[in-house]
Amino acid sequence: MLDTTTIPLAVLMFPGGLFALAFGLALKGLDRRVAARLQGRIGPPLAQPFFDLVKLARKRTMVPDIAAEPVFLGAPLIGTVSMLLAAALVPIPGVYAPNPMLGDLLVLLYLLAVPAVVLMIAGSASGSPFGAIGFSREMALMLAYEGPLVLVVAAVALRTGSFSLSDIIAYQQTHGAFLFDPVMWPALLAFLAFYPANLGIVPFDIPEAETEVLEGPLLEYSGPALGLFKMMSALKAVVVLGLGVALFFPSAPDGAAGLLVHLAKLVVMMLVGVTLLRVSMGRMRIDQAFSFFLRWPLALSLLSLAIVAAA
Amino acid sequence: MNFLRIFARNLLRGPSTVPFPFGPAWTPARMRGRVQFKLSSCTGCRACEQVCAPGAIRFDKTPEGLRFMMWHNTCVFCGMCEFYCPTDAIHQSDDWHMAHAVGEKYGMAIREVIPYTACTGCGMKTLASAPNPIGVVPPFTPEEVEQQRNQCPACRKKALAERGTPS
Amino acid sequence: MTLLQTLTDSARNLAVRSPWIYRINAGSCNGCDVECATTALIPRYDVERLGCQYCGSPRHADIVLITGPLTAHIKDDVLRVFAEIPDPKVTVAVGVCPISGGIFRESYAVHAQVDQYLPVDVNVPGCPPRPQAIIEGVAQAIAIWRQRI
Repeated sequence: MLDTTTIPLAVLMFPGGLFALAFGLALKGLDRRVAARLQGRIGPPLAQPFFDLVKLARKRTMVPDIAAEPVFLGAPLIGTVSMLLAAALVPIPGVYAPNPMLGDLLVLLYLLAVPAVVLMIAGSASGSPFGAIGFSREMALMLAYEGPLVLVVAAVALRTGSFSLSDIIAYQQTHGAFLFDPVMWPALLAFLAFYPANLGIVPFDIPEAETEVLEGPLLEYSGPALGLFKMMSALKAVVVLGLGVALFFPSAPDGAAGLLVHLAKLVVMMLVGVTLLRVSMGRMRIDQAFSFFLRWPLALSLLSLAIVAAA
Repeated sequence: MNFLRIFARNLLRGPSTVPFPFGPAWTPARMRGRVQFKLSSCTGCRACEQVCAPGAIRFDKTPEGLRFMMWHNTCVFCGMCEFYCPTDAIHQSDDWHMAHAVGEKYGMAIREVIPYTACTGCGMKTLASAPNPIGVVPPFTPEEVEQQRNQCPACRKKALAERGTPS
Repeated sequence: MTLLQTLTDSARNLAVRSPWIYRINAGSCNGCDVECATTALIPRYDVERLGCQYCGSPRHADIVLITGPLTAHIKDDVLRVFAEIPDPKVTVAVGVCPISGGIFRESYAVHAQVDQYLPVDVNVPGCPPRPQAIIEGVAQAIAIWRQRI
């Protein structure tokens, strides 16, 4: 039970590490391709995010004169490492259960906050005014969406009586997935509003808005450092979508078929929740996004917590 | 919800992208592209130089003749030179493939010399009139045209005055 | 050594498929900018299939499109932004203004030609050039970029 020898393997190779990175990049490529098709364009090849990474690895990293260099270069590294760990924490139902030594849902919640924090640090360390604007926007948005996330997770934990993702999956496998449980629907809706914001796509990409604040915190990054941010964002997609699958719809067969079903669920979540939303909406203003999150997802998650506590 | 209909249409019909960098591109019939200059039609009236707003067309006198110079890298492709050319010596083709490496920058020009000849009347250096002016019908017989081609303006004036009114 | 060579070559072949584009407006009349935006945005001339992506930050750029005759007012800013772009980069002058000054040539207010100040690689003449011509220029720039990356 407390065998720690598989942890490095889990972090670096299979559920986290290379596998999650490759799948995250493929998800991003699929997202760009399908978005192009929805807009009537041909779009880039599926491996485009991978080409981008190789390209960035061959470019120079420039550090602005006024930047705090150790923080500026350390921030993307911290973000990527935290997402690698988080990817090893997300279970794949029927295939992989994280080692309890590595952590549980609470650790995952903390790790999920790291990319946003890292972006804030990066934005302020770069010394650019656009980075500072990105910093403040990222902060406001994070305050807005972290509340509903914590309440959703609390509702699920209250329902199952455990903060361990393995227990949550086991509960749903005996009692039926929360996707079909009306008691959990408010929490599900709140989560559906949360994950586009966490992934930073169009209606909620206010901190990185390239037409307004020139990609905000990422403005001053170039070369391999920017590549690390791209890796972090690809890993984050896998982690957040995997968390959604684990929390609400973990039904899957064992073995290789289970892995395929899991990946298919992630692809569907990406296409519906991210691509379709991204191409069909314009960007919100930060005050609109802030009041939206403090109104609907927060209300829904509070409601779900109340229902679960009463049920 | 209209956008969902548009998405469905885009998915069903497939992309509307033109195949250009990997295939041929459609060019409008009246596209104003690369300028072509016909030396045999130019009479050296310099109307094109007058109307060229960015100064892409320039004439200057060299020992060999009147030199016509036109640089595509400052031309705005307005078409005024073609419009005002009385003999259709200048024409804008529909060729728009003009992207070039910076080393060829000054190669994107037309340099032609309208040669001087000796006037058959007085032997002075003069411009031969264009052998093939398109769209111009001079009120002379072909023999008269041939006779006056290599004359300087003064000798030509004299010959016309001696001949009397044109027949 | 040969393994390293092979790896470098394949990395170069992959990297060349991701040229990110950045636009610098050096005092343009906006005609060429409209054509550049057209090239990027409308489905008909989708440049994303070449792997190109318009980026908002000069630090992310690989291919720089310069429009405009480099007016006296904007010259210093353009040079500063250009210095912010990390190597290797390829510069494309779009329209006749950056190439020669075009209609503004010999004006007291412009510093054209741009290649007196910046290392321009490809010229795309036109006033403005049509979107296909810009794509052609970008394709030539990618060919040059392949040797630099």
